[in-house]
Amino acid sequence: MDILKRRETMGRNWSCVGKELGRIGTRHQILRSMKGNGLMRRGLSYLALATMVSVVLLTGCGNLPLPGGKRVTITMIYGSEKEAWLVPLIEVFNSEGHETEAGATIFVEATPMGSIVSGDRIVEGTLKPTVWSPASSAYVPVTNASWLQKHGEDLVVGTPNDLVLSPVVIAMWRPMAEALGWPGESLGWADIAALATSEGGWAGYGYPEWGSFKFGHTHPDFSNSGLISVIAEAYAAADKPRDLTLADLQDPELKAFMADVESSVIHYGESTGFFATRMFERGPSYLSAAVMYENLIAAQEAKRIRGESNQPPVVAIYPEEGTAWSNHPYIILNAPWVSDEQRGAAEIFEAYLLAEPQQRLSVTYGFRPSDPGLPLSTPLDLEHGVDPTEPKTVLEVPSAEVVVGVQELWRSEVKKPVDVVVVMDTSGSMEGKKISSARSSLVDFIDLMDDRDRLQVILFSDEMITLTELSPLAEKRQEVRNRVSGVIEGGDTKLYSAVEFAYRELDAHGDPDHIRVIVVLTDGQDTASPITLPELTARIGAQSESGDATKIFTIAFGRAADREILQQIAEITGGRQYDSDPETIGEIYAEIATFF
Amino acid sequence: MFLFAVYALATLGVLVGAFVSPGFRAIAYAPLRDLIIPPPKPIVLDVLYSTEKAAWIDEGVRRFLTSGPRVEGRPIDIELSKSGSREMYLAVLDGDVEPDLISPASMLQISLLEDLSAARTDRFGGPVVDRRDTGTCRPVLNTPVVLVAWENRSDVLWGGNPNGQLWLRLHEAVTRETWEVYGHPEWGFIKFGQTNPLKSNSGFQSFLLMTYNYAEKSSGLSNEDILDAGYQAWYREFGRNVTQFGDSTGTFMEEIVAYGPSRYDIVAVYESTAIEHIDNAVARYGSSHGGLQVIYPPVTSLSDHPFCVLDAEWVEPEEAQAAKRFLDFLTDREMQELALHYGFRPVHEGVSLDQPGSPFGRYEGNGVRLNLPDQVEVPAGNVLNTLLEFWARNVQP
Repeated sequence: MDILKRRETMGRNWSCVGKELGRIGTRHQILRSMKGNGLMRRGLSYLALATMVSVVLLTGCGNLPLPGGKRVTITMIYGSEKEAWLVPLIEVFNSEGHETEAGATIFVEATPMGSIVSGDRIVEGTLKPTVWSPASSAYVPVTNASWLQKHGEDLVVGTPNDLVLSPVVIAMWRPMAEALGWPGESLGWADIAALATSEGGWAGYGYPEWGSFKFGHTHPDFSNSGLISVIAEAYAAADKPRDLTLADLQDPELKAFMADVESSVIHYGESTGFFATRMFERGPSYLSAAVMYENLIAAQEAKRIRGESNQPPVVAIYPEEGTAWSNHPYIILNAPWVSDEQRGAAEIFEAYLLAEPQQRLSVTYGFRPSDPGLPLSTPLDLEHGVDPTEPKTVLEVPSAEVVVGVQELWRSEVKKPVDVVVVMDTSGSMEGKKISSARSSLVDFIDLMDDRDRLQVILFSDEMITLTELSPLAEKRQEVRNRVSGVIEGGDTKLYSAVEFAYRELDAHGDPDHIRVIVVLTDGQDTASPITLPELTARIGAQSESGDATKIFTIAFGRAADREILQQIAEITGGRQYDSDPETIGEIYAEIATFF
Repeated sequence: MFLFAVYALATLGVLVGAFVSPGFRAIAYAPLRDLIIPPPKPIVLDVLYSTEKAAWIDEGVRRFLTSGPRVEGRPIDIELSKSGSREMYLAVLDGDVEPDLISPASMLQISLLEDLSAARTDRFGGPVVDRRDTGTCRPVLNTPVVLVAWENRSDVLWGGNPNGQLWLRLHEAVTRETWEVYGHPEWGFIKFGQTNPLKSNSGFQSFLLMTYNYAEKSSGLSNEDILDAGYQAWYREFGRNVTQFGDSTGTFMEEIVAYGPSRYDIVAVYESTAIEHIDNAVARYGSSHGGLQVIYPPVTSLSDHPFCVLDAEWVEPEEAQAAKRFLDFLTDREMQELALHYGFRPVHEGVSLDQPGSPFGRYEGNGVRLNLPDQVEVPAGNVLNTLLEFWARNVQP
């Protein structure tokens, strides 16, 4: 094999000589076409030619730069938690013009995405990256098993290298952790379950001023830390650190324990990074604690110590029952769309990320380098709320079928149900493609909800029509689908009144033990409401400090919508504003659905 | 035309002059230079070796080639290729590779290759290696398989004194599942990792040592010992509870340091691998968990990194001669001194482990010892094969 390789190199050199001679031929022709036939002039031209031949042959043409180099692009889908470290490195790598063995310049294009949903989309074939780097290996066997079933071969071959490491932890405001006995006491999932079911929330711990216990983790169908959270809850409930089985998941006590923990969740979400940002921006009244990665806490504390955050200190709790690692595996996919050239280029980029300077840099973002030769230095210390000697143990990652079993159990029985009021603009300007895509995407949105979830649909234009009252979907799913499919447009836009009405409805009929959400879709500006924007925001913003208050998500549908007003309405409640159009409305609804 | 001829001749003269004069020759374009004055054809040695010694062997090849070695006036060139130890002898047996020199991690693989190639009369005229002929086949580096554990864990299990109880205690601990039994519920389940014996030699060796330990002997392991139902049940139970049977010894060592004790409490690796990482663990965790402790089995098995010249039709006499030259170079004092710095035990008797700067003295506090316990006997190839078959059928995850 090596001998073959050597011959190839030789061949390349010879052909390179041919190329050079070809170029010289061209130069020769230029020289010949020069005017003047004098003996001297011709002699000079031959001398020039001879000199060039000598120079080229003596120096070896392999060292001469060949213009017009080829480019190879590799695409990478990665868990967003490492964005701060990865993105600047990609820019540097691309600007340095790294080359493959064959001399093609490597170009890396990277997109952040939830670790679970990206795996599912790769299996579906709607996402075709060269490299997949989810937040952890936990879900990789599930993705690989689905791929294997479909294609008859493995998607992930061998053991991929880890890029950077960070344990999954529970981030909690330090005063609250101290109220639980931290740092003297070891804390874990059992403490979270106890807090979640405590009568009066923090009052049971002597701190009535902190209100209810507000907990958060991401959606286990979309994000790695959410999946780890529910697996950890199941292990804690089963009171064992390994060998979680499908039979364990049938135990009513296990289900009750998980449901207890979930009852304190304020909402779910697609991205761990988004959760961390929310918690660190809004403070203890919004969230008491959330599941995230150690690096996000170290980074927040570094910010606070620099004076860039006014929040109280936050600490990492390493659950005593065990946790999991976010290990950011670098997986070059064994998929038909990955060429050998891309594979080679991806290996070069991998070596770059694993090289010492890049590994060392990861520590400044709060990661633990995967290179064992590098120490864990600031901000990985107690001053920054993290303890590099933790965690003491991990939980065993269950088999693929048990992982799927936990997800199903969560979805069907233990997750916190949601009360959703959809407020949909049906004014005259919605005509045509807008109303049809709004109808069909709302039907898809309804399909993303579970039977235990409750739904109310309000249509607004000149008037407000309640298409269906707030009640569980189980009893009306098909009927609501049919009714939504038949909605037609016409009339003015009474946006503020509609939002206010929805808010009042949810206030009156919503279950305080459910996540409560209003989704507003509009394509225009308020033209006819009897109330003003300040009146509306005063009303909906009254309880918004609390993480478990009603959240409003607003969708600006098309360019005519007033995004600023919609943003104001959403953010005052802790919700989010989205821009959309008939092409992307489905994706926006899907993203909103990750909150519950 | 006349002038052209003159210039052409002059250019040719410059070229030839350049290729002949040593100063220019070095920077001249090689294929053309070699076309004008062909150098003697080099003897190319194809060497397959196992990865644990990569850093040492790369440096060795560099030094060897720099010394300009020749056989009958022809220069020697070396083509190195990495391979897993088991993969290596299987590829030779199947005819997938035709190396001149092979170096698996241990004599175990040479023993297997010797027996299995003798049986392949269709392909070979007899055994392709002879492990008793030290002229063509001998160890160049030694490193025993050891257990590496966080000190607080090893203290709980062995109290600093594993004696003859090492494997039995490990079996007991791994099959008891959690540290709660030992009064440390906070450490979770007991996490032991070793490599897959079918893929990596260190896993094969610790498997062999456990098997010898069960049979209460250190030589003469037989097929009957392996077929014993009590032994099979005992090992299967252990295998079911091993946290990870990995592919690479190096990866285990890197992970026990990178992740700390949350990932692995104990791993089976080579002494040289352990030595490489002891300081890394200190840099990462200071004295918490007590640092890494190296624990020697009561009777050991050496990864002795034999280099063996193949006795096969594709190995030309000059190649065999060149291979022996290289083997002699590797066992010379200079290369053996270098091996010490990589944490290997030199085979050269003149190189002492107990010298200034030696890692063997430096890591005494971590349990690293100068003197090794006795070794188990390397069983015959067919016995080793039975052992691997049992593993493949009953334990393979």
